[in-house]
Amino acid sequence: MSTFRVAGRGRIDRSRPIRFTFDGRTVQGYEGDTVASALLANGTHLMGRSFKYHRPRGAVTAGSDEPNALVGTRRGPGRFEPNTRATMQEIYEGLRTESQNRWPSLGFDVGGVNDRFYMLFSAGFYYKTFMWPRSFWDKVYEPVIRAAAGLGKPPTEPDPDRYASRFLHCDVLVIGAGPAGLAAALTAGRSGAKVVLVDEQSEMGGSLLSEPSVEIEGQPAWDWIAATMAELASMDNVRLMNRTTAIGYYHQNMVGLCQKLTDHLPVPPEGAPRERMWKVRAGEVVLAQGALERPLVFDGNDRPGVMLAGAAQTYLNRFGVLVGRRAVVVTSHDSAWYAAFDLADAGCKVAAIVDTRAEVMSALREQARVRGIEVLPSHTVTGTAGRLRVKSVRVNPVVNGKVGAARSLDCEALLMSGGWTPSLHLFSHTKGSLHWDEEAEAFLPGRKTEACRIAGAGRGLWGIGKALEDGAKAGAAAARALGHEAEAKSLAVANDREGRGVTHKELPTDRDPGRARAFIDFQNDVTAKDIRLAVREGMRSIEHVKRYTTNGMATDQGKMSNMNGLAIAADAVGKAPPQVGLTTFRPPYTPTTFGAFAGYHRGSHFEVTRKTPIDSWAEEHGAVYEPVSLWRRARYFPRGNEDMRAAVARECRMTRASVGIFDASTLGKIEVAGPDAVEFMNRMYTNPWTKLAAGRCRYGLLLGEDGYIRDDGVIGRLSNDRFHVTTTTGGAARVLGMMEDYLQTEWPDLRVWVTSTTEQWATIALNGPNARNLLAPFVEGQDMSDEAFPHMSVAECTVAGFPARLFRMSFTGELGFEINVPARHGRALWEKLWEAGQEYDICPYGTETMHVLRAEKGYIIVGQDTDGTVTPDDAGFGWAVGRKKPDFVGKRSLTRPDIVAPGRKQLVGLLTDEPDVVLEEGAQIVADPDQPKPMTMLGHVTSSYWSETLGRSIALALVAGGHGREGETLHVPMPDRTITAKVTGTVFFDPENTRIKL
Amino acid sequence: MEGRMDAYARFRPESSTVPASGPVAIRILPEVARFSLRIAPADLGVASEAFGVALPGRIGEIAAFGSRRALCLGPDEWLLHAEEEEAHVIEAAFAERYAATPHSLVAIGDREIGISLEGEEAATLLSTGCPIDLERLAPGTGKRTIFDSVSVVLIREEKDRFTLEAWRSFMPHVLGLLETANRELAAGL
Repeated sequence: MSTFRVAGRGRIDRSRPIRFTFDGRTVQGYEGDTVASALLANGTHLMGRSFKYHRPRGAVTAGSDEPNALVGTRRGPGRFEPNTRATMQEIYEGLRTESQNRWPSLGFDVGGVNDRFYMLFSAGFYYKTFMWPRSFWDKVYEPVIRAAAGLGKPPTEPDPDRYASRFLHCDVLVIGAGPAGLAAALTAGRSGAKVVLVDEQSEMGGSLLSEPSVEIEGQPAWDWIAATMAELASMDNVRLMNRTTAIGYYHQNMVGLCQKLTDHLPVPPEGAPRERMWKVRAGEVVLAQGALERPLVFDGNDRPGVMLAGAAQTYLNRFGVLVGRRAVVVTSHDSAWYAAFDLADAGCKVAAIVDTRAEVMSALREQARVRGIEVLPSHTVTGTAGRLRVKSVRVNPVVNGKVGAARSLDCEALLMSGGWTPSLHLFSHTKGSLHWDEEAEAFLPGRKTEACRIAGAGRGLWGIGKALEDGAKAGAAAARALGHEAEAKSLAVANDREGRGVTHKELPTDRDPGRARAFIDFQNDVTAKDIRLAVREGMRSIEHVKRYTTNGMATDQGKMSNMNGLAIAADAVGKAPPQVGLTTFRPPYTPTTFGAFAGYHRGSHFEVTRKTPIDSWAEEHGAVYEPVSLWRRARYFPRGNEDMRAAVARECRMTRASVGIFDASTLGKIEVAGPDAVEFMNRMYTNPWTKLAAGRCRYGLLLGEDGYIRDDGVIGRLSNDRFHVTTTTGGAARVLGMMEDYLQTEWPDLRVWVTSTTEQWATIALNGPNARNLLAPFVEGQDMSDEAFPHMSVAECTVAGFPARLFRMSFTGELGFEINVPARHGRALWEKLWEAGQEYDICPYGTETMHVLRAEKGYIIVGQDTDGTVTPDDAGFGWAVGRKKPDFVGKRSLTRPDIVAPGRKQLVGLLTDEPDVVLEEGAQIVADPDQPKPMTMLGHVTSSYWSETLGRSIALALVAGGHGREGETLHVPMPDRTITAKVTGTVFFDPENTRIKL
Repeated sequence: MEGRMDAYARFRPESSTVPASGPVAIRILPEVARFSLRIAPADLGVASEAFGVALPGRIGEIAAFGSRRALCLGPDEWLLHAEEEEAHVIEAAFAERYAATPHSLVAIGDREIGISLEGEEAATLLSTGCPIDLERLAPGTGKRTIFDSVSVVLIREEKDRFTLEAWRSFMPHVLGLLETANRELAAGL
């Protein structure tokens, strides 16, 4: 294979050859090459197939805006990535790459037949073609479209890589290390400000890497870069980050950076993360992202070998690669002339420079003449030829708006430039406004919403000298804004390549423009005619045009296509571009891996898993767990081959027969202390607390201002001024927050303070007729007799020698105690009780048994039997409301007309006519199963279990007017049958509470 | 369920060091007596007298005397540390003053677990999960912040040594992340 390397050019290291594969073929490049530059060096332009038409495509850019040269990269099992930009992926020894969207091969692709029918696949094709019959959509059209759509293969194995993240704070964040960014960083760095400079490329320098002939301060550009980088690197206050993309600009100068750490290394260090997401909070941000070159829109502008002139210049100067030995340049901007000169000087035969403009600087014409390049001003391009690579280009003169006779020019490469678009993506993320600059024919940054400055080509300036000057000023201003003394030093620039240009809609043609394959969005295969069709079919806003044609909706977010699409849409609508509008850029700036976003949150650390001090015992004893908010809780403890139902039935039986032990440590606990504690409790909870004596407990009900139940729990009064409040497991943080909220905003006068003690205490519940027999011998400092320590008591004492807060209470209907000991002693106490409990055939039980036992007694679980619209009366808890109290949270709402209206959903018991049938929780309830659909639903089942105690199923349900329906038969329609059930009270077991009072 | 699930085992007093995973030494600190003190700022003098340390008035400030120290966490909130044997004496001293100077003193010694992070890269390690600007956390100060969504109290003991306290059940998560990030520091990228 012939090589297109040019001796003496480029920044690649020729002493370090590197081999990688492309579609199985070994390709040689050098250290410093990208996949694209190495392929081009070997004469390969064809790198992929397009998305819709499967047209052969090659690299059109040399940067992150590349829409065509997307490849799959593979580094071993699980390390396959689709849609990697060949123009950004650095090569390393052993890298494997493959082309996409082709079958059986890149050169011959069956899907290419789509291209023959391109007139059919116009904008809106899917919407129009697959509308009828409606029933076909789900089963036929969508699956087929989905199979055909998509670009690249998704990875199928778990990603074995690590991803990291870090927070970073700095004074000045400079994004982009081209001339403007380097000057900004240097100026700010010299001022002593803490500076971070980032660039997405493997090395810093930006456009200077492609402009070695420019001289700065008497030094060749590359020497100046080296000196500048050395100075920046020597400053302790400057952090340099290459291969780092600023992906998003968020509120208050928070910028997300994605840094690629190992994708360029043949052997990543052990344990190294692949990427790191930086969340940077910057005092000032300097956006020095430069500008992106626009393609010109003409028939056949997507053929391999047709590329941006600036890209060709980069491949030559940075990578030492000639993109073709014979080239034609077509441009509307002076910059492409310089590219032509560079290529010509490197040995490329530049057949012609085709300029759409009539007038071009005479200096440029003179330089072309010197190099023997034919100049064709006032010309257009009307077509290209060649199957897998451009072979010739068709050019025509344009005189007084009329396209003249065509002429064909042979070429291996066609270099185009439609001008430059300031890169405003990150600025757009800030919701800063853009204004249309008539002269530049571009949107430029307008009103700012963040502490940011835009420097260089990003705000429409052109030329290295101007960019350096603007960058230095922005860096100095940013540093000064933060209180540093900074001065923008001016830099002398020689051989600068200043220039200007114009922009176009699609180029004029002598052929039928309706048949032209003049691409705008190369990745999504959107052509100029698609945009015009969208406008003809009624799309007026650019947002509609975008969605109808998918222009700008590919992974490159229209970096190349947006402005051309807008120019054509504006022309078709007959309005100026700003009136048609620009679509919104959204983060991320370039495609970013899910891994980078997930960071450390994977596997065991996907989310916090809270465990109680007794959790380890449960694990050792075979507990099956369930998640309850962030906690994992033991759900049941199977013995032998027991399934959940058998285990739960046994746990229920053993607890009611003798004694069960339960880990209740996750219950929220809040210490309410201060002289106004009782007043605070009266105001927060529905219940009256004034008369509750120290040493006693009460069930407390907490409402929201709307009068609906928010939380509940047993609350003990430890002393006149101190309450031990318990909350639901999931409600702990919410209740504490609600209390603090009221204290800080409503009642700052109350002398009371709330402190979370959830994790101070491990809580063990003992329930069953033998609970006291087991516990009493361990207790010191409290008489355990029923008279001295009746149901709903609390005491501070010691249990097994541990300081304890002992509650006598029950959530099972059995004689019950809850022992709180400092968390570190939780497991030790549990083990002591477990050992002593063997005498009583003690049974550890989990949350499922707890649920069954409480349901048998009609005790509700907030959030399961309530849904945020249940009042105390609805739940049958009117007795817990201290109606004589002057006020409590939610009191006023309890008298609202809606709340007191009849027919509200109320909590009832349900007993199925067939006792073995357990209703499904969430099942809907109707009065008449034979009514026409849609049926009137009365409510739903909230809790439903097999009750081992009663030898039948039980259920709780919220039913409209439920309290008045006792004895009625209701119906629960299920997919296979309708179940009948009778409405009952909510207490199924021991309604006299005799067992609690043992 | 090997690995992370065992994190609790490491919290038993008998094993107080976490296996070295990188350049920062991570240690589980011995148990201490901790109290959350809530009191009106005007009554700070009384609290200082009870605790035997002049309580600092600015959020983030730390004052210490002997083994007792206090960190101001909020306008009316202080975190008190002392040796475990002193817990009762401290409780009694505050109780004595309660009637005249109401306040709330709640024992939270078992609510939290403290760890120590020591090494030149300790601040970098913390920056993997802590969003505050650690450069502005001066040695000898502390604050309530978060580490990867977990509420923590972070004290900078010295430039390269931090104490981090988090609620007991959150500590395995925090510690696991710190170990992962510590290995990352060891990898040098």
